[in-house]
Amino acid sequence: MALTGRAALLAVAGALLVLAAPADLAAVAFWLVVAVIVLVIAVDLALAGSVRVLRFERSDDLRVRLGEAAEVTLLVANPGGRRVRGLLRDAWPPSTRPAPREHEVDIPPGERRRVATTLRPLRRGDFTAAGVTVRALGPLGVAARQGSHRVEGRVRVLPPFLSRRHLPAKLARLRAIDGLNPVQIRGQGTEFDSLREYVVGDDVRSIDWRATARRADVVVRTWRPERDRRVLIVLDTGRTSAGRVGVDPASGDPSGWPRLDWGMDAALLLAALCARAGDRVDFLAYDRAVRAQVSGGGRGDLLPALVTAMAPLQPELVEADAHGMVAAVLSRLRRRSLVVVLTDLNATALDEGLIPVLPQLSSRHLVLLAAVADPRVAALAAGRDGPEEVFDAAAAERQGVERRQVTARLRRHGVEVVDALPDDLAPALADAYLNLKAAGRL
Amino acid sequence: MTTSTTPTITERWRSWRGVLGAAGLIVVVAVLIVLVSGVRNGGRLDIEATSPAGARALAELLRGQGVTVTQVTTFDDAIARAEGSLLVVARPEFLADPAKLAELAARPGARLLIAPTPPVLRALAPGVTARPGAAETVRDPGCDLDAAVLAGDAVTGGWSFGGATCYGGTVSVSGEVTLVGSGTFMTNGKLVENGNAALAMNLAGTHQRVTWFAPRSPLGVPDGGAKPLSELIPANVGWFVWALVVAVLLTALWRGRRLGPVVEERLPVVVRAAETVEGRGRLYRARAAHDRAALALRQAALARLTPRLGLTATAGDDEIVTAAAARTGQDGGQVRQVLFGGTPSGDAALVALARDLDTIERQVRDS
Repeated sequence: MALTGRAALLAVAGALLVLAAPADLAAVAFWLVVAVIVLVIAVDLALAGSVRVLRFERSDDLRVRLGEAAEVTLLVANPGGRRVRGLLRDAWPPSTRPAPREHEVDIPPGERRRVATTLRPLRRGDFTAAGVTVRALGPLGVAARQGSHRVEGRVRVLPPFLSRRHLPAKLARLRAIDGLNPVQIRGQGTEFDSLREYVVGDDVRSIDWRATARRADVVVRTWRPERDRRVLIVLDTGRTSAGRVGVDPASGDPSGWPRLDWGMDAALLLAALCARAGDRVDFLAYDRAVRAQVSGGGRGDLLPALVTAMAPLQPELVEADAHGMVAAVLSRLRRRSLVVVLTDLNATALDEGLIPVLPQLSSRHLVLLAAVADPRVAALAAGRDGPEEVFDAAAAERQGVERRQVTARLRRHGVEVVDALPDDLAPALADAYLNLKAAGRL
Repeated sequence: MTTSTTPTITERWRSWRGVLGAAGLIVVVAVLIVLVSGVRNGGRLDIEATSPAGARALAELLRGQGVTVTQVTTFDDAIARAEGSLLVVARPEFLADPAKLAELAARPGARLLIAPTPPVLRALAPGVTARPGAAETVRDPGCDLDAAVLAGDAVTGGWSFGGATCYGGTVSVSGEVTLVGSGTFMTNGKLVENGNAALAMNLAGTHQRVTWFAPRSPLGVPDGGAKPLSELIPANVGWFVWALVVAVLLTALWRGRRLGPVVEERLPVVVRAAETVEGRGRLYRARAAHDRAALALRQAALARLTPRLGLTATAGDDEIVTAAAARTGQDGGQVRQVLFGGTPSGDAALVALARDLDTIERQVRDS
């Protein structure tokens, strides 16, 4: 049950009537007013349409990229005998920002109405509908019946893949590498493609003398970048991935975006690029257990599979288990592969976690470690106004020194390191991959 | 697919009946306790009141002696019953209507005035002078009045009356009129002390019928006084206020009803990654760690300088100083002092060091 402003207005009017009544009839007038109000409310409630009998149908589960709007529709059927007129609220978690908050509905008996709510989520992840509440006003508009229904519904908010704007440029570079025919850098594992006639400018080292001897022309072997290499992207979802860096591109929140989300963005660009380059991409999210995994089966649906797997991931507040992570990676890879680890270049965490077990991995696979740098630390390092800023600058420089040291240590293990500011991480990682591919090191 | 989550009236009754039952039980038990214990509230010297300031104990004692004690609260009742009984004026401060007071004075009969105010004294015991301010303490009778001698020591005080000798002048008996400076010794709380009970019995038990005049609110207005506020307000204003209360209640119900329950959401952890760096900076500051701060600044500057100077990471101090001095044109000793000197002596020296490092870096970069 709910009341409206009209009930309050009725009571105020009644109060004025009591004031205007003759002194000896004031008590009678008061009780009369109360009786009339109670009667009007009771009648209105009795004549209001029933909320309990309403039937709801929801459109299918939705997927929406973070930063975009999704429209969830709700079909309300009124099988009851009375018209249901009033307000309807389709409740969703606050961070999905449902709009409008409440709808005006008017459903005659036996009919159905469609109600659309627009969601503009601020966070990635899965969101379930919290319920539908209907307030059915009586014919007098004084009182209303109110009731809630649980209506299943789910919206999955996917990572926004903001770095896709870099994809055309990176693909162009990939084609340029592809077009190096023959590839001038003849690294190991470069694949033989075909034989063709020598043209001026070809590397004389690629002349195939045996084939030339069989024919009148000089024949060169052509090469193409290796295809069908395996790339495993490992996303660290441990405690270091919770740290917020940069500015949240979805909401503009200056407290930043978790490292995990920047890592996902870079991983998506890399995966898109690898898929175009003909490599097989696997994905693994790990902290102390496997949080999500994708095996690159069909290439066409790689990206949808990846964003779907990434969407519900959240940073776990536990120290990542590097030993288990390496074991999980090794159990998934037979051939020599490129293992891309998206984590943080945190000296302590790496010294105690990844570095001791890194040789197991780097001896059999090519390891590329990518980390996001904090622009706020860079800003702190430039502070010179007064002793406070200089102390902060010293702390920031200290962290910079530690990062460089741990980077050098990783490079000695044969690990490639990409350390870039949030906005540059995805293109930097893509460039690192393209460089490895051009050098034939995959 | 859809389920109503609002409970039906039956379900609601089922979930609330326990609470309602418990509340009802508490009310019933409370009412029973009050009824059995017989606690009666009331004003001071009210013969219904069982509180320490009431006078129920005295009334019960008198009734035990065969005295009929009747409490009246209005002038009309008091006037009607005054004749042939002892009129006890227990709350003279409430008797403000001069006309009624005169009417009462005109009735014959015995009177016991407890702490009489000047208007009451003038009307009911003309000619007696009274002074306020006698301390309420234990006094001995100090006179040969039977009632006082038999009772012995008692707690008296309040008003003292001219010409009276008993209890330091606070109790005066002249013919039919008895004056008592204070009613404290008659209250439930004080009756058991000393000879209070005996004195009260002796003074109040002189007649077979006692009319106990103890109004609970002021009666009438004194001469020349304004009407009380309550009489100036029209009678239906009270009901109007109640009607407004109803309106406010309905407004509260209207505004307070939410359209559906509050939706809860799991909030993410917000950890700014730079917090550790800021924390370390504050620690440096708190401990005045100029040495560590200077070391970090110099290490970082050297790591940026050496590649620009065309040197490897293994280059010695002298090599770096010589190369930097050559590139910047600064004095070698000064460059060495900045890059490899001692710990800065204070905050100012640390800031100066940071600026000097910046200068060398900038000069190397620009040269």
